[in-house]
Amino acid sequence: MPVLYKASFGYLLRHPWQLGLALLGICVGVAVIVAVDLANSSSRKAFLLSMNTINGEASHQIVAGPGGVDENLYVRLRVEEGVQDIAPVITGYADVNDQTLQVLGVDLFAERTFRAYTLPAAGSSGARFALHETTFRDFLTKPGAVLMSTAAATSLGLSGGDNFTITTAGKDYPAVLVGTTNAHGSSAAIGSLLVVDIATAQHWFNKVGYLSHIDVRLRADQDTAATIRAALPPGTQLLSAESRTQSITEMSAAFMTNLTAMSLLALLIGTFLIYNSVSFAVLQRRKLIGVLRALGLTRRETFALIVAEGAVLGLVGAALGVVLGVWLGEQLLLLVSQSINDLYFRVTVTDVDVSPWSLLTGLVVGVGATGLAAIVPAIEAAGYRPQLSLARSVLEHRSRRLLPRIAVAGLVAAAAALIILPLSGTSLLAGLTAMFLLILGFALCIPVIVDAASRLSAGFAGRLGGITARLAVRDISASLSRTGVAIVALAVAVSATVGVSVMVDSFRVAVSAWIGNSLRADIYVGVPGGSLDLELVDDIGHLPGVAEISSSRRIWLEMPAGRTRLLVIDRAESGHGGTELLDAEPEATWRSFEEEGAVVVSEPYAYRNDVGQGDTLVLNTREGPQAFNIAATYRSYDANQGTVLMSRRTYQRHWQDDAIDSIGIYLAADASLQTVMDRMRELSQGRQALYMRSNRDLRDLSLQIFDRTFVITDVLYWLAVGVAIIGILGSMLALQLERAREFAILRAIGMTPWQLGSMVTLQSGLIGLISGLAALPLGLLMAWVLIDVINRRSFGWQMDMSIAPSFLLTALALSTGAALVAGLYPAYRAASARPALAMREE
Amino acid sequence: MNANVQIRLSHLSRSFQEGEQRHVVLQDLSADFAAGETVALRGRSGSGKSTLLNLISGIDAPDSGRIEIAGLDITAMSERDRTLFRRVHIGFVYQAFNLVPTLTVADNIRLVLELNNVEEAYASLRIEELLAAVGLANRSASYPDVLSGGEQQRVAIARALAHRPRIVLADEPTGNLDDSTAADVLTLLDDLVREQGGTMIVATHSAKVAAFCDRVLELQNGQLLADSGHG
Repeated sequence: MPVLYKASFGYLLRHPWQLGLALLGICVGVAVIVAVDLANSSSRKAFLLSMNTINGEASHQIVAGPGGVDENLYVRLRVEEGVQDIAPVITGYADVNDQTLQVLGVDLFAERTFRAYTLPAAGSSGARFALHETTFRDFLTKPGAVLMSTAAATSLGLSGGDNFTITTAGKDYPAVLVGTTNAHGSSAAIGSLLVVDIATAQHWFNKVGYLSHIDVRLRADQDTAATIRAALPPGTQLLSAESRTQSITEMSAAFMTNLTAMSLLALLIGTFLIYNSVSFAVLQRRKLIGVLRALGLTRRETFALIVAEGAVLGLVGAALGVVLGVWLGEQLLLLVSQSINDLYFRVTVTDVDVSPWSLLTGLVVGVGATGLAAIVPAIEAAGYRPQLSLARSVLEHRSRRLLPRIAVAGLVAAAAALIILPLSGTSLLAGLTAMFLLILGFALCIPVIVDAASRLSAGFAGRLGGITARLAVRDISASLSRTGVAIVALAVAVSATVGVSVMVDSFRVAVSAWIGNSLRADIYVGVPGGSLDLELVDDIGHLPGVAEISSSRRIWLEMPAGRTRLLVIDRAESGHGGTELLDAEPEATWRSFEEEGAVVVSEPYAYRNDVGQGDTLVLNTREGPQAFNIAATYRSYDANQGTVLMSRRTYQRHWQDDAIDSIGIYLAADASLQTVMDRMRELSQGRQALYMRSNRDLRDLSLQIFDRTFVITDVLYWLAVGVAIIGILGSMLALQLERAREFAILRAIGMTPWQLGSMVTLQSGLIGLISGLAALPLGLLMAWVLIDVINRRSFGWQMDMSIAPSFLLTALALSTGAALVAGLYPAYRAASARPALAMREE
Repeated sequence: MNANVQIRLSHLSRSFQEGEQRHVVLQDLSADFAAGETVALRGRSGSGKSTLLNLISGIDAPDSGRIEIAGLDITAMSERDRTLFRRVHIGFVYQAFNLVPTLTVADNIRLVLELNNVEEAYASLRIEELLAAVGLANRSASYPDVLSGGEQQRVAIARALAHRPRIVLADEPTGNLDDSTAADVLTLLDDLVREQGGTMIVATHSAKVAAFCDRVLELQNGQLLADSGHG
C-alpha cells in the first residue's frame, strides 16, 4: 500500500471504535436495502414461479366471468374447430391438515403441450418430471386421486396410497395420494401444488360444467388465435397468460415501492452518518492533511485520498452489509410475504432467492452513498491551505460563514419539493423524490437554527446551571462544524420515526373508524376460498333471532387492460349508512344503485382510473362489455387496487351468477348472539364448515391484519433508528476525542472530573434534545407528505392526519435518551483522561 | 538574475485581515539568497519570519511582489504548480516536527520519496542512508510518539532532505529542544544541507542558531532592517 494511504488509513485503524461505528452505520444501511430487495424479489419470484408452473407452456388463456368458462367451449374448439394446443384447467385452494395448498385440475390427455410434470413416462428414458405408468393409471381411475410433490407429501405426513381428507369451501372430500413427483428443477413451485383430474376438481370447487380457464399455446400462428376468437361466446376472452400474471403482480408494486422507499430512508440516514464520520475524520486530521499539503500533496490528490478512503470504508461496510442483508432478508421475507398474502395475492415462499443483482445493487448503493458522503469533506480537505497552524477558531468561523448559504440551499431544496409536488400529478417516484428533497432541505436549515438558539440560550443556561451549563450550551455553537452534522443526522432519523408513526397512526384511526362504520351486521359468515351453500344461507335466514341478512360476493373481472375487483352486495336495511359516500347524496345514489344498475366505486379505484360520479366504466359481462354509470365514490381502505361496488340485482342480471361468498346477519333486538351462532353451527353440521365471527371479533381481526401489514414498516423504521443511534454514538465519541486538549486544559485549570463528565453528558443530552425538537416539525412535515402524497399516490386513499402527543413526546425522549446513552462513554473518557497526557498527545 | 542567486524576493508584501483591521506582516521586502548559502532569518515573535518561509515555499502567496527560485517565478504559478514545485524542490523542517503519527519513522521519510515517484529500491537505500546520518538507524520501525523531541526533529530533518531539495526551510527547528540537543540537531542539519549543496533559510530568534549561518537577515515589522554579513 502506498505510504500516503498508509498514513491516511493508519489514522482510522488507530481509532477502532470510530471506524467500527462508521462501518456499522454503512453496514446496517446497506443491509436494510439488500434485505428489502431480497424479500420483495423473492416473494415476487416465488409467485411468478408458481404461476409459471401452473401456466406451463401456455401462451394465452381463455377466461370468462366469475362462473368460469363453459366446458362445451373446450369441446367445440377441439372437435369442431380443430384447435389442438389447448387444455382445460381448474384452479383453486384447498386445505389439508391445516395447510393451504393450490389445486390444479387437469385433463392428462390434453396436457402434453403444457405441463411436463403431469405427463406419463415415455419409455425407459422418460421425461424428468414424468409420472410412473402405474401412477398415471391410478390417477385416471381412482376417485379423488391426487398427485403432489414429495416435499408436500412429507410435510403432510402422507405416502403413496394414503387416503386423506381435503376441504374446499368448507366441505370435506375424500382423496387418495396416488403418487409423488421429485421435480428438482421446479420443486419450490410444485411444493404446494396438488394435481387432480379435472372432473374431481370441478366437483370439489362446485364448478361442474365449467372451467377456471382454458390454456392455449399459440405458435406464432395468427390463424389459430383468429379461429379461437371467432368461436368465443360473449363475455369470454382470449388473454395473454403473461399479461394476466403481470396484472396480478402489479397490484403489489406500490407496496413494494414503499418498502424500498423505507429502506432508502435508512440509507439516507446512514449517508448522513457516513458524512458525519468522514467529516470528523477529516477535521481531526486537519493537521495531518496540512502536513501532507506542505509536503507537496496537491488539492486533487488530497480530494482523491479522502474520497478513496470513503470508498474503501463504503466497500468494506457495504460488503458486510450485503452479508447481513441476506440474513435480514430471510427474517423480513416472512413479514413481506405475509403482508402480500393479506393484501394482494397468495404466495408461498420459504427461502430467500439471493440474486447477484440484489447483492451488487447493495454494494453499489453502499459504496456510492459513502463516496457521495465523502465528497463534501474531501472538498473541504482539499481546500485546506498547506499552513499548519489552521486554528479551530478559523475552521469554525469558516463553517459559520457557510451556514446562511447552507440554509439557502436547504430552502431551495424544499422549494423544489413544493414545486414538484403539485406538478407531478400522480407519480409516486416524483412524490418520493419531493419527500427526500423536503427532508434534505429541512435538514440543511437545522444548523443555522441550532447556532442561533445555542448562542442565545448560553447566558440563560449559565444562570441556571453555572459555568458547566454555559460551557455545554455555548460549545454546541462553538463546535458547530462537528455538532451540526450530528444533530442533523439524529434529527433526520428521529423525524422518520415521527413521520412514520403519525402516518401509521392516522391510517389506523381512519381504518378503525371505517371498519366501525362499515361493519354493521352482528355476525359475519363465510367459507375459506369458496362460496356458501345457498340452501344453507336460506335456512340461516329463517333461524329464530335473525332479523335480516346482507350478502356479498367478491370477484375479479378480467379485461385486456387489466383486472377489476367487483364487490357485489345485497344490502340489508339495517346496514344502510355503512358505506360513506364522498361525492354524492346517499338517497339518490342508493336508489340509482339498486334500481338503475349504477355502480359505486371506491376512492382508490376513482383515483387510479381518474373517474368519479357521473362517469361511466366498462365491465366485461357475460353478454360482453357493458357500460355502467358511476353514481358515487365511497370511502374504502380494503384494497388499494380499488373496488367497484354493484348491487346483487344488477350483477345477476349481467352475469347470471347467484353465488354468495359471505353473509352479514342482523339479529332481532331480543336475540342472543351466542344462541344464534350455536344454531347456525348445528344447521351447518355435515353440510358446510362455516367461518363465523361476531362483529367485535371481525373488527379485532381486521385491525390485527392491519397491524400485521405494518409490522414490516415498524421493523424498518426501528432499523433506521438503530442506524441513527450508532451514528450519534460515533459522533459523540469523535466530538469528545476532538476536544481532548480542551478538556485537558479545563482539567488543568481546576475543573473536576465530575464537572467535566457532567458537562459532556449535559451537552450530549442537549444535542439529543435539540435534535428531537428539530425532528418534530420535520417529522410532521414527513407525515403530511406520507399521508397526502405518498399514500394517495401509492394506494389512492385519503385520510386525516391525527397527531397523538405521545408520539411527539416519545420522539423527544428517544432522541434525548439515545444521545445521553451515546454520551456516557465519551463523558467517562473525558472525565478520566489524564490532563498532562492529553495535552502532550495534542 | 545573477547566476549564483537561488532565490530572489522582489517587493514582497503580505498582510492578514484580523477582524476589522488589516495586519501588515511583510511590506515591500526584497532579498537575494545565493545557491549553497545558509541564512538565518531573525526577528521577534510576529515579525513575519514564518510568513516569509511560507511564501518562499509556495505554501502561501504574497499580496504583491515576486518570488523567483532558480529563475522561476513561483508567484505566477497556479496553486497546483506551486505544490508540485514545492514537492520537488523544497524541504521544510518545523519547530513542532509535524511528523505523521500513523507512520513509522521510515515511512515518514518514504512518504516524500513516494510523492516524488522515487523507485522503491532507491528509496529504501536513501532512507537507510539518512537514518544512519541522523543517528536513528535502529529506530526505523518506531512510531514518532515513542521518540524524544530531539529524535523526532532528526526524523523531520531526514524527511526534509530525503528528496535532495534545492532549498531547505527551517522554522525554529530547535525551538522545542534543549541546548545540547539543539546544537546536535543544528550541526546535523547544517552538515547535511552543505553536503547536498542546498540553500537553507532558518527562521529563528536564537543567536546560537544564527551563529551557524553564513548570513543573518533581521526582520522587524515587515521590513528587512538589517542584512549583516556573518562569519
